[in-house]
Amino acid sequence: MSAGVSLMLTLLFLTLIKSVPIVYAALGGVISERAGVVNIGLEGMMTAGAFSAVVFTNLTGSPIIGLIAGIFFGAVLGFVLGFAATFFKVDQIVAGVGINLVALGGAAYGLVLIFNQPGASPQVTQLGPGQLLPQITTGETAMIVLGLLCAFGLNWFIYRTPWGLRIQACGENPRAVTDAGLNPLRLRLYSVIASGALAGLGGAFLSICEVNLYSDQMTAGRGFIALAAVIFGRWTPWGATGAAVFFGFFEALQYVLQGRISWLPSDAMQALPYLAALFAIAGLVGRVRAPAADGVPY
Amino acid sequence: MHQHFELVGRLRVWQNIMLGREPRKGMLVDVDRARSRVAELAERNGLAIDPDALVEELPIGVQQRVELLRELEREPSVLLLDEPTAALAPAEIATLFATVVELAKRGTAILVVTHKLQEVIDYTTRVSVMRHGKIVARYLTTETSTDEIARAMVGGELPHVAQREATGTQACLSVRDLTAGVDTTTVSDLSFEVSAGEIVGIAGVEGNGQTALADAIAGMIPYAGAIELDGSADALKHRENIGIVPQDRHHEGLVLNWSIVENAILGRQNLPGIRKGALTDWNAARADAEAIIERFDVRAASPDVPVRTLSGGNQQKLLVGRALLGDPRFVLAYQPTRGIDVGAAALVQSRLIEARNRGCAILLISFELDEILALADRVLVMFRGKITGSFSGAEIDRGKIGRLMAGLT
Repeated sequence: MSAGVSLMLTLLFLTLIKSVPIVYAALGGVISERAGVVNIGLEGMMTAGAFSAVVFTNLTGSPIIGLIAGIFFGAVLGFVLGFAATFFKVDQIVAGVGINLVALGGAAYGLVLIFNQPGASPQVTQLGPGQLLPQITTGETAMIVLGLLCAFGLNWFIYRTPWGLRIQACGENPRAVTDAGLNPLRLRLYSVIASGALAGLGGAFLSICEVNLYSDQMTAGRGFIALAAVIFGRWTPWGATGAAVFFGFFEALQYVLQGRISWLPSDAMQALPYLAALFAIAGLVGRVRAPAADGVPY
Repeated sequence: MHQHFELVGRLRVWQNIMLGREPRKGMLVDVDRARSRVAELAERNGLAIDPDALVEELPIGVQQRVELLRELEREPSVLLLDEPTAALAPAEIATLFATVVELAKRGTAILVVTHKLQEVIDYTTRVSVMRHGKIVARYLTTETSTDEIARAMVGGELPHVAQREATGTQACLSVRDLTAGVDTTTVSDLSFEVSAGEIVGIAGVEGNGQTALADAIAGMIPYAGAIELDGSADALKHRENIGIVPQDRHHEGLVLNWSIVENAILGRQNLPGIRKGALTDWNAARADAEAIIERFDVRAASPDVPVRTLSGGNQQKLLVGRALLGDPRFVLAYQPTRGIDVGAAALVQSRLIEARNRGCAILLISFELDEILALADRVLVMFRGKITGSFSGAEIDRGKIGRLMAGLT
């Protein structure tokens, strides 16, 4: 195999790997924003997922339980944001930023408290082949497949089921939902909990699947990139998935190029996925339309 | 049914109507059954509708039909309509009430809240008059008249509306080839003039570009074309020359937490009489506030109370009073009697006519044809951002204007 082909394959594989956490978080962003809650807290929910996955894998020795813990603690933060943004009518952005700070600080403190070492956790059992899907598939491949299933499922849920219809209405005009005799606040709360669960799963992938430990600030802004993917994907599940893969590609590219282009400092290279997100969104300004009641407390 | 529709613009008609009561096929929405249910409902009530249309792409009158169908889907025994005709053209009003009257015949109890007295006389069987949150009179429709209802609404005789006097025909405001606005509220290639001492009424159903026109004249949005006052675009920028009654008193007109005095100089704070060097002359401001209170009968405990504590009618009178203060050359009055009782409305209309008699050019934008017909010397009809008709003096014809408002010719 020539070096060029091998490089392309590496890039392809890395793109898929790097996309996975963003895909999960972006799908979470889609369901939350379609219901009318801007989830700035995706980053914090990913952090909670990543950290709790490591803690529970360490505790039980089972990365599957770690994954479930990641989903659960992401959902808990989702509940906090959802509750604040609906029943307490807290500004969604402020609440989301609060969630991010609490999660980041909490994880850093937890490292010291639980593992007695700052910076990074000890190594834990990684999600291995055969644990999520049959023997031949690695943990990473299983998570890729699961991510696609989530995108498919969310698309089906939003556009085909009664609940999806109500969530759409909720993000466009919650008063119409009230008029139909339903409670838009409850719908929004459920949506943000689901959003947190998906982001938590994405975070868990980072810590116990891609590597085997939690290190401080390991989500590195992926929650915000996921938010950009939601917009770039025009608030649709498949659109957001595609956008997440697009941003994942730039992250992979950055890894592949490192060490190959000597004149560009590695810091500049690491900025690649963020620059991609910035330009992608800047190019869309004024041409996409968010759900009408997105970010508006009801 | 609400005065302001509670619809989801980006969903289809059937999705709006069946929301919350979706027929199911397993875990999915049974689309076929939902659509046929809507089609059948529309058929039964004589309201033509395409179940698959996107609501935001429908004209206001048709959206109203969707709103009504949504309520009818629940087969209510009581139907409450809040100002159902606020956004409708005359022809659409007749269609709506035909359906409603038919429903009543089939046994639905219907309560209509409206301030349009003619509708009350034409379509109802019984009338209750509300004033200050209390029912002050009850009539059988057949035994009463618009005059009697109006008197009960004001609690006395209606104030006399000022007589118009002959005035000159010198062009004051001229608009040429105006194009402005975004998306649904745009105007294109609009040209017209308003003479000194003339009230020009813009008739049209809400959402046909009136807001873009008003915002362009007020200098709030960029535009292409020319807007001139006495032949000069600069004159329009001088606040003493123009008075503006914005459409929405809460969002554009007043700062609700500020006092009457502060609101009285809002937008006028840099005029020579109000500003002294770097400071505000609060005595002059207070004098202005008191002048408005006096001339417009604004009922308030004192000029220092927050505007929030005033009733809607008194807020509106303050707004119009401020616009007319200092005898501007031109006044833009956008829905000047919006949401106020007939007594206050008559006062506001009188003051507008008095300003006209003094030589002020007035552009009146209103969604209420009655108001336009009562005030305007000349009527322009706006439909989808264009002027589709112009009538003056004896040519003014309610029927023709109504048809043009609905987009018919």
